Amino acid sequence: MQEATSDPPPSSAQPSSAGAPRDSERASNSARGAGVRNAKLLARQKLLSSVNAKAPEFGKVEHVETLPFGPNLRVERFRFSNGLQLLLCEDHSAPVLAYHTWYRVGSRHERVGKTGLAHLFEHLMFNEVEGRPAGEFDRLLEEAGSEVNASTWLDWTQYNAATPRDQLGLVVQLESERMSKLVLREPQVTSEKEVVANERRYRVEDDVEGSVSELLWATAYKEHAYRWPTIGWMEDIQNFTTADCEEFYKTYYAPNNATIVVVGDVTESQLLPKLSRCYGVIAPSVIPLEDVRPEPPQLEERRCEVQKPTSTEKLVMGYHAPALGDYDHGILSLLIEVLFGGRASRLHQLLVRELELVSEVRAFIGPFKDPGLVEIFASCREGHRAEEILERIDAELTRVMEQPIAEEEIERGRTRFELSLLSGLDTMDGKASTLGFYDAVLGTPNVAFERLELIRRTGASELRRVARKYFDKRARSIIFVRPAPEGSNSSPAGDAT
Amino acid sequence: MKRSTLASSSVLVETSHDLPLVSLSIGTKNGSLFDPPGLEGLTRVTARLMRRTGGHRDPLEIDNRIDSLGGAFSTDVTASATLFQGTVIRRSLEPFLAIVREVLENPGLTEVELGRLVRETQADLVEALDDDRGLCRRWFRKRLFGDHPYSRPVSGTAESLGRIRREDVVARARSLADPAALHVAFSGDIAADEATTLGTALLAALSEGEAPAETTPDPVVPAGRRLVLVDKPARTQTQILIGGIGTHPRDPDHTALAVGNTIFGGTFTARMTQEVRSKRGWSYGAYSSLPIDRRRQGFSMWTFPKAEDAAPCIALQLSMLSDLRKDGVTKKELSWAKRYLLRSHAFAVDTPAKRVGLALDKLLYDLPDGYYEEYKSRVSSVTLEEVNAALQQRIPEDDLLIVVVGTASDIRSAIEAQIPNLGSTEVVRFDNEV
Repeated sequence: MQEATSDPPPSSAQPSSAGAPRDSERASNSARGAGVRNAKLLARQKLLSSVNAKAPEFGKVEHVETLPFGPNLRVERFRFSNGLQLLLCEDHSAPVLAYHTWYRVGSRHERVGKTGLAHLFEHLMFNEVEGRPAGEFDRLLEEAGSEVNASTWLDWTQYNAATPRDQLGLVVQLESERMSKLVLREPQVTSEKEVVANERRYRVEDDVEGSVSELLWATAYKEHAYRWPTIGWMEDIQNFTTADCEEFYKTYYAPNNATIVVVGDVTESQLLPKLSRCYGVIAPSVIPLEDVRPEPPQLEERRCEVQKPTSTEKLVMGYHAPALGDYDHGILSLLIEVLFGGRASRLHQLLVRELELVSEVRAFIGPFKDPGLVEIFASCREGHRAEEILERIDAELTRVMEQPIAEEEIERGRTRFELSLLSGLDTMDGKASTLGFYDAVLGTPNVAFERLELIRRTGASELRRVARKYFDKRARSIIFVRPAPEGSNSSPAGDAT
Repeated sequence: MKRSTLASSSVLVETSHDLPLVSLSIGTKNGSLFDPPGLEGLTRVTARLMRRTGGHRDPLEIDNRIDSLGGAFSTDVTASATLFQGTVIRRSLEPFLAIVREVLENPGLTEVELGRLVRETQADLVEALDDDRGLCRRWFRKRLFGDHPYSRPVSGTAESLGRIRREDVVARARSLADPAALHVAFSGDIAADEATTLGTALLAALSEGEAPAETTPDPVVPAGRRLVLVDKPARTQTQILIGGIGTHPRDPDHTALAVGNTIFGGTFTARMTQEVRSKRGWSYGAYSSLPIDRRRQGFSMWTFPKAEDAAPCIALQLSMLSDLRKDGVTKKELSWAKRYLLRSHAFAVDTPAKRVGLALDKLLYDLPDGYYEEYKSRVSSVTLEEVNAALQQRIPEDDLLIVVVGTASDIRSAIEAQIPNLGSTEVVRFDNEV
């Protein structure tokens, strides 16, 4: 992993010259660059002194590190005395900014009988705050031209605001208020529970893929907290109390459990005083130790069969995969790209084009703190059975375990990765999401480009190694989806074998 | 932004060196409106077949090449336009453009690949039956626009796709690649002069085609209130679209109406979300929309309550619609909406791709001069009287279509009882051809 340095990487705006700079020019450029860097460091020291002189009790701030972010950008990490972290990436290409708050709490922090609480709480964070009625948060930010949203997953919950740059003060004010002054009342909790229940119906109960994916994870995991869905089981959602929500808030919504990510048309001198003033009044809290049990190794294949109101059979599989921070995760991601990524991939060519067995086949490797799954999804064409698809996929996975993949195929996968990474950085929000996500899961925000470097160095032997290690039939779960006969409802899961 | 005009086509460019990516959109007004009756889906199949068989190459060879260059290239067909669009890492721009040129200039359009593509598309239509929201949209469009070409499915039906022959595709491809009807838009890591040179060269390489002239009339919507139930088993939740005919960008009250729609259902804090979701928890989302096109488009409200709440939710929406037309919006709401629209406009133009996309839309949808450039001043100057007059004039109340995807036996009678002046009810199976 690249070491963070306090010197920023070379600027992309190099002095123009007809050829390579001569030594005297290089020395002059280097001296100029060092001068600029020193001036910046001095300015920062002065800024921090000024901020800290006026800071409230928990608002003192220190600069932690500068991290390169791709070829042209850099990220500055700051830490406040209450543990709150800030990642700032200046981007003055448009007069807007993305303001994200990433809390290191997700559905993994829940317990049996209280699943879905992190997600329900995400909804409640848009409600009443001390001194502001319910709905005012959204009204004020929309009036300011901002778009706000949030999401929850297994390891984190994030809140995002895309805002015109002149509304920064308002965003900081409102985001800091809801971190510590949220008011939870019965009518809002009840109403929001019903909204979440409707969301669950939309994404899961009336959705074939959503419901089967949920079943897959519940089958593949017996101990780990990843076995229950982030949206929660319906019964749990409906039984939450206001007291449950208050306890969750007090426990996990604290500055020392959060990182603010700001990308856009803003400077340190504009941002730090505001954050210090608004967040510096919030005390840290004691974040409890996690109580997540590791998933024991799966030693034999698990199968289920369900009926759904759908016209064709589906095959859904999950193989246990490495965690995002594991060395093998990037390599396995490249293998998935070669096998399933795009129309030129092996499985698309075979199953969609040549044999015309499926309308779609795809795979995804979970990017999680703990080991997740490689999920494979295939939708059969009419007249074909899921077992046929399984046989074909098995044959291809066996082939990959035996025969090295050709370099041209691997290079195709590598460039798809590169394009995907760069495309995701097109907006301020995209950059903030990339930084916030990696910081929340791995503690290092700029690791996306390091993953790309790893993928660039990965060759055929590594791909074969991970294929053999992870595509073990004993460590997989399979769901067969059959069309429900007309006039019947879908059936609950049952064992096929 | 730089725009170069060559006869009736254009090359547009927005430069930014922030990322080593170049995006390209080549658009024509030649969309699925021009599918001959009985051959619905032809334009979409043609565009996709061109993409797959450019330069008479094997589809796998093309896909491999594009991936290996670090590119992505696809087609998008709507009723009113066809787009060939892609993105590529800067270092591979020239070989990428060579592929794009082959797709437009010299596609193989083989019988074998046509057959494969038709079967794939037919299989996709079967899969689409799993998507309740998509089903609702397709039936809404079909029944709202009736005999008008807007009602015809862009993807076609299994039957219409089966009738497409190679000669149909060849003729359509010639029309789609007519350089006189194409506009080329670049954005990203490319200088204006380079983009103009490359875009002009691309258009110059193409043979004259025969892009059809547009004779599409404005749609006429049947009178009265109609209910269409798309019957699907085992639905715990419904998908509901309610609406009628909407706006045209050349209407003098178009901006006033758009502002009114923002207040009614265009944001999270608008009336619809507040009443349906925040106060009652009935639906995860509740919005109204007022899309634009070259001809008058529809207005619609979208909610998705659980089955038991479908009837009261519909009743609430109808009542809100009536109040909107009767009482209009308030001064306070208007001031708020203007501030939202003016400030959030920053996000319509914050990337080069978005800026050039707006310029391309203007050409493809025949938008009035200054439509986007003068947007903020038009919004600023709208008055309360204009908004309320537009709402009363343009938002339908009597001639309304209500489409519900759900399990008919569970919801029909309750819903019918909540729709005043209901003229007709139609129940269709979810797996009927749209």
